[in-house]
This record gives sequence, C-alpha cells and structure tokens, in this order.
Amino acid sequence: MIIVLAVFAILILYDLQRFIRKKERARVFALYIFFMAASLAVSLLLASGRRPSGPSQWIEATLKMIGVLK
Amino acid sequence: MDRSNTKDDWSLEVMEKARMSSIQLFLLLSGFLFGSTVILAPAQGAKNDAWLAMLLGGAGGTLLMWVYAAIALLNPSKTLVDILKEKLGKVAGNIFAVLYTWYFIHLASLVFRNFGEFICTVTFPETPMVVVIGLFAVILVYAINSGIEVIGRLSELLVPVIPLVVLIISLSLITVHDFTAFLPILENGITPVLNAAFGFISFPFGETIAFLMLFPHLSKKEKLKKVVFVSAAVSTLLGIILFFRDIFVLGSDLMARSTFIPHLTSLLIPGLNVEPLVDINLLIGGGVKISVCIYAAARALSQIAGIDDYRKLTGAISTFCVVLSIWVYENVLEMFNWAEKVWLYYSIPFQIVVPLLLLLLSLRKKSKPSNARTES
Repeated sequence: MIIVLAVFAILILYDLQRFIRKKERARVFALYIFFMAASLAVSLLLASGRRPSGPSQWIEATLKMIGVLK
Repeated sequence: MDRSNTKDDWSLEVMEKARMSSIQLFLLLSGFLFGSTVILAPAQGAKNDAWLAMLLGGAGGTLLMWVYAAIALLNPSKTLVDILKEKLGKVAGNIFAVLYTWYFIHLASLVFRNFGEFICTVTFPETPMVVVIGLFAVILVYAINSGIEVIGRLSELLVPVIPLVVLIISLSLITVHDFTAFLPILENGITPVLNAAFGFISFPFGETIAFLMLFPHLSKKEKLKKVVFVSAAVSTLLGIILFFRDIFVLGSDLMARSTFIPHLTSLLIPGLNVEPLVDINLLIGGGVKISVCIYAAARALSQIAGIDDYRKLTGAISTFCVVLSIWVYENVLEMFNWAEKVWLYYSIPFQIVVPLLLLLLSLRKKSKPSNARTES
C-alpha cells in the first residue's frame, strides 16, 4: 500500500508542478485527476487484496444480458 | 495565443508538422499486426486448419483495413474523432469518440497484460507483473511523448528484426520437422475454420482502427491503400509461416495444449537457446501496438476536450493502462478465455459497424456535390 502511494505521489508531483508552471487549463487538470484518481483507487484496492470486479467482467455480463453470449 | 479560436488551426498545424513516410507507416502497421500474435498464435480454434483460417481471415482483414484506408482517404487530414464529429454530429460524435478512447485504452491494457503474463511466466517468474509492465510503460511513454515521427523512425529501426528472428528460429528447427503434421485437412469440417477466421479478422486486423488517428500524418496519401494492403499481406504470410513452423515442430496435439506456442517452439532448438529472441519480438511488436493505442487514446481525448497537446495526457493514460492491465484479469486462463470468447463480440461495433457507417456517410457526402453539378 505504501509503495503504491509513494509511486503515485511521485508521478502526481512530477506532473502537477509542470502543469502549474505552464498554467494549464482546468480541463487538463480535470482529466489528469480523473485518470490518476481512478488508477490510485483501483491500485489501493488491488494492493489490499480486495479486487473489484473489472471491466472485462462488466463487458461479459453486458453481452450476456443482451443475449450475444450464452 | 487565443486557444478558443485556434483549436482547429492548431490541429492543422500539427498535421502539417508531423509526417510519416510510407515505409514508416508500413512498418508501424506490420509491427502492430504482429504485436501480441507473436506469443498468442491466433486462429488456434481451427487446430490443424489454422492456416486455412489465417488465409480466409487475412483476406477479410485486408478488406477491413481497406475500409479504414478508404475512410481516411475520403476524409483527408481528419482523424477518427474529427470524422465522427463531422458525420454523426457533435453530441453523438463526441459520445462515440469517448467510447473509442476507452477501446484504445482497453486494447493497450490487454496488450500490456499479454506482455506481462508472457514475461512473468517464461522469463522472470519471480518478478511481480506490475514491475515488468510498469518499466515497459515508462519506456513507451517516453517514445509516445517524443511524437509520432519518432515512433515511426523507431519502427523503421526495430520492426525488421521481427521477420529476421522468425527466420532464424525457423531455419534452426529445419532438422526437427514433420511436414505432414498439419494433415488431415478439414478434419472437423469448415465451421471451426470460419469461426477462427472471423476471430483472426478481429485480432489483429480490426484493431488497426486505431490507425485512423495516425493516417492523416502520412506524407503521400495516394500510397495509403497500397501500404495497407502490403502490410496486411505480409502479416498474414508471416502468421502462416509461424503456424507451419510451430505445427511441423510441435505437432497438433502439443500445439493445442501449450500456452505460449512460439516460445515452446523456440525451446526445442537443439544445442541453442534462442528464448530471448521471442522476448525481443514481443518487446518490439507489443511496444509498437501499445504505443499506437496510447497515442490514439491520448490524441482522441485531447481532441474531444479541446486540449492543445496530447502529451499532457499520456502520463495519466499510461498509468491507468498499467493499473487496468493488472485489474482486468485474475489469471492467464481468464485472459485466454476472455480473448477467445468475448473480445470478438465486444469489438464488432468498434471495428466493423461504426467504420462501415462512417464509410457510407463519407461516400454519400462525396457523391452529393457531383449529383448537384449534374442537376444544374
């Protein structure tokens, strides 16, 4: 968990200082934070051994629901 | 710089700057098509007749890539996002563009996972997969941030190694061949062959839909169809050569039971260890494929959001891809099962339905002015 947090802290600090220096628009920040927050949340869950159901399972379930897959 | 006014100017400016030669595009396409097929051996559902499935699938795949090239030629200097917005309207176009962005991210993650599974199974079994994938991602982010021209030049340098390695391994195994191993032909009928052929169209040919984000960079547009045709033909041929090499050496029974077939074949060379060569092939092919997918995703997302430079998003998208690649499957068996059963149906809208719709809309729009001229 600590390793995951440390890796993300380094990545975010490195990118954000560049964004702030270049005075990026809010959209860049919003998209960046969305991807990094999603990655961080999933990483922490995976690191703690509580693997959430993934996109592959959602896609499979959707295809089964609409009758494409049996 | 007034960004609100110059968003379109900017994309045009970048289009003008970043250029790729026909050779570079050919090698990029070939590397992409070879990508993870180097370890996964597609069309295996047809067993002995996989070569037939590859021939049929190769023909279908070439046709599909021809459709993508036709869309690109009917909409010169426009990326997939531009085309979607123009043909489907701003709202629907943006929705489809977001879905395609997701598709490219997902595809990159799956290739990352293939790469990670292979390396952690055969080369570094003690190393955590996230470390292997993470380190590979760092190198790829550097390449993607350097721009599409650099990726093109890298492919010029590295992709020719792939057929060379195939040749080295094939020639090294010439003494241990059983040339009748692929017989009898059509033992289980035509149905498995057709199913495998359809799968082969989707993986890898249909995945080249990502190149609709790259085609505008080609310097000589008139050569696009030729480049697409040659790269599809070369990849099919290389796939068939690989299949025959593997089945001649392993036999159909062992081939059906093994996980990473080309790797197993490479282990059987008497008195020589060429295992790292398969790793090198995967590094090159997989690297090209992931780079193109992440580039396409970052470029698409930056166009949707009106961000002037895709490089601002590559770091975040790549990080997400690495996490997604670990999250997406629990183990290697789930990976193969999903790729075989679900991937094809999931891909059909992205690879066939929407591109055909775009082609029809592009053709209709092209024929309109000429009709108007005839009437007047």
